[in-house]
Amino acid sequence: MQKLDSKTFDDLLRRSHVFDNGNAESVFDLTGVELITPAALVQLAAAAHVLAGQGKNTVIEVDDDSVRSYLVRAGFITAIDGVAEIRPYLPSSGLLTLRGTNPLLIEVTKLTDASTLPELLDQIVWVLQNRLSYKKYDAFDIATAVSEISQNIFDHNLNISGFLAMQVYNNGKFLEIGIADNGDGLRNTLRRNRKYTHLSTDSDAIHHAIRLGTSEHDDATRGTGLYHLLDLTYKHEGSVQIRSGTAKVRYRMDKKQGWVFAVPNMPGVQIALTLPSK
Amino acid sequence: MEKAFRLGRYGSQLWTREKAKEIRADLIRVLEILAVGDVLVIDAAGVEVFDFSFANELFGKTLLTLPGEYPGRFVIVENLTEYTKENLSKALESLNLTIIERKRAKLALLGKVHPADQETFTEIVEAGEAISAGALSKKLEVNLTAMNERLSKLTGLGVVRREKGSSSSGREQYVYRVMN
Repeated sequence: MQKLDSKTFDDLLRRSHVFDNGNAESVFDLTGVELITPAALVQLAAAAHVLAGQGKNTVIEVDDDSVRSYLVRAGFITAIDGVAEIRPYLPSSGLLTLRGTNPLLIEVTKLTDASTLPELLDQIVWVLQNRLSYKKYDAFDIATAVSEISQNIFDHNLNISGFLAMQVYNNGKFLEIGIADNGDGLRNTLRRNRKYTHLSTDSDAIHHAIRLGTSEHDDATRGTGLYHLLDLTYKHEGSVQIRSGTAKVRYRMDKKQGWVFAVPNMPGVQIALTLPSK
Repeated sequence: MEKAFRLGRYGSQLWTREKAKEIRADLIRVLEILAVGDVLVIDAAGVEVFDFSFANELFGKTLLTLPGEYPGRFVIVENLTEYTKENLSKALESLNLTIIERKRAKLALLGKVHPADQETFTEIVEAGEAISAGALSKKLEVNLTAMNERLSKLTGLGVVRREKGSSSSGREQYVYRVMN
């Protein structure tokens, strides 16, 4: 595998069996990988936190020098500090000062509460306007979509870790934003509401979650986040992938019913948003 | 009495439900001192953007509780930009709610609005004083039952106030007005 992204991440999970074995040490073998996207980075960070919660040590084997360097620049080493280790050993000390200096990158950032969001959204708006030629209001649309997804993390889960990262590619041709958490996942979250106890599969849960008004909470003002995420993604001709449990659905304007994939189980919700330049 | 609530003092970019909760607590304190017929004006001047969670929490929750907890009070919004207006409208549509927007002294409905309800609302505004269901049904050439249904809906949404009045023959009847 040369590229680890939101698609190939599931191949990695299939190969490594980290969530379906009893081993005390879980190994993600990234040997041969030459490129990692933000969506894969945040999924890997969330996976490491899930495994740490299960009392397992996580090892990520990386041999490519450019990838090793990127893991540091992208804030990944900081995000997995204390829950996983890179082999061969990769120190993170002294590199924290680089954080925020590359405008085309939002480093893997831990989302713990609403207070972390405004600064990240400001940066997303700036990049969209200045690097992808988005008009101000169009950039606000994307920041709104990201805000809605991010709030889902701490609105529906307690004591979990959520991560966000962004990278601009091909001189501003497109960008990818990845958001992932190690929470209860869409099916378990929705099933806490009596109206959705019938949801028996993760793909059903994803399809329900994107409908207006579907929420864990019986509150008329809830359940709009993923609906608006899709609406705004279509408006700006992007695509979005929602992954939860054992299902992954990729939505695009010309495929609103989504492409559904069966994937290896992983707790939490992981979202990859891709947007073209204007 | 009209009381202004300046949203811009909380920032030009208003993100998250949590932020809206803080602001809503301030807004409720103002609502609580208003009397029947008073108007709370949410002045959105200086606000460039808010997300849907923010709009749902601040505007949605306030409008949902208005008819039951603060009957007879009006909440209106003004100085929306084209962008904040579009987002607020989408947010309210998804919640089946409506708010009065004031733009250059003119009042209109924003959110989930049926054309017939908009027409009735406009007619009440243009009447300039409290008007009965009978008078409205004649003006708009709608039968009285249908007009009563429209007025009941608009009253329930908190955008029209119903009060007791009397007809030219002295009989008691309900009349409707939009603010004082």
